[in-house]
Amino acid sequence: MARVRERDVAAFEAVYDSYYRLVHGIALRMLGEAMAAEDLTQAVFLKLWSSPEAFREGNFGAWISRVARNRALDVLRGRALRPEGEIPSDVPIDGALDETVFALIDGERVRAALATLPDEQRRPIELGFFGGITHEEIARRTATPLGTVKTRIRSGLQKLRIALEATVAR
Amino acid sequence: MNNPHDEMLEAVALLALGTLPQSEAEAAASHAAGCAECRAEYASLRTAADAIGYAAELDVATFDAASAARLKARVMDAVRSTATAPSAVVRPLRSAPSIAAQAARTSWLAYGAAAAALIVAVVSSANYVVLRKQSDADAAALAQARAFETQVARVVAPGSRYYEVPGGEVVASSGRVFLALRDLPAPGAGKVYQAWTLHEGAKAVAPSVTFLPDSNGVTLIELPESTAGLAAVAVSVEPEGGSTAPTTKPTFVRKLS
Repeated sequence: MARVRERDVAAFEAVYDSYYRLVHGIALRMLGEAMAAEDLTQAVFLKLWSSPEAFREGNFGAWISRVARNRALDVLRGRALRPEGEIPSDVPIDGALDETVFALIDGERVRAALATLPDEQRRPIELGFFGGITHEEIARRTATPLGTVKTRIRSGLQKLRIALEATVAR
Repeated sequence: MNNPHDEMLEAVALLALGTLPQSEAEAAASHAAGCAECRAEYASLRTAADAIGYAAELDVATFDAASAARLKARVMDAVRSTATAPSAVVRPLRSAPSIAAQAARTSWLAYGAAAAALIVAVVSSANYVVLRKQSDADAAALAQARAFETQVARVVAPGSRYYEVPGGEVVASSGRVFLALRDLPAPGAGKVYQAWTLHEGAKAVAPSVTFLPDSNGVTLIELPESTAGLAAVAVSVEPEGGSTAPTTKPTFVRKLS
């Protein structure tokens, strides 16, 4: 990324080649339209090119997947109301995000880790992340008490974290 | 879970996943900033939440190589252009949408024309037809315009069924349900419209999405529910965040038969 900040086109191309399947996949999953997903993928990478300083530290894959998700939410908000549920950037975190997990992560491993969750935990997590809806709307759509949804999301994320660590340790 | 701090631990989990409304997100973040336990929980769960996007990563074996090559060419063309002359890019990205022609084929002409006009307004404001600068903002606006365009194309597709309601139609197309409304007034401060669905044999309506019309009073949304077993669709004005059951007289109730 340091070279991208210096306007190195070859470095940008390498970043693109490494992450376009992630960005495009998120866009396609959330928007459900191939052409809209292409446009959003283009928007994310051009944003990276025009404002590389937006990525400051941490894991790049985690960061760009957040950017892709937030961009997709912007598009979805044009269709129906969605939560302003973006992660605030001012929550202090003790230490960096777990680099050992992200260094070895890929789509296959995350899908395998998600598959270890019970449906009742995996479904609200996927609805929340890819559907971009609030936990209250998840509760309504799944006809589940709000408190149960909260508990399932927390428990599911805890299990997912453990499953990811186990998956990348193999 | 009645312990207030346990509830806050659940809130930071929702914060990590990104499913808290803004006001609650700010409260949870503020609490986490001063609470070591919640901060540690947030950091741990955010790692898991940040990984979820990878579940959608496209598989090399199944991804369309030709589409990938075209997309990469678009992106790299724009990057190379701005690498040498940051503000000199003037070229069309795509041809303008031709929604009006599609809409004219249907009996849904009035809404089709309104939708086409709206699309023209959207894309014009984004310099879509001839992008003066192929910036990320343009591309994001383009993505939104195209998503809207695609929805219009779906509701005017052959085989779609139209159920007239005041100010528009409920449309059933390819197993999906759309609300296509052109004259919906703003619901008022702190209020939203909410869709409701009634399935065959059900005694009460079930809550669906909340939405607001745009500044032109136009709404075009796809409901998450499929048409399978769906007996009726209704819309009412509800408080922000929606309701679990209608709290006002419905704007309309439309049987799908």
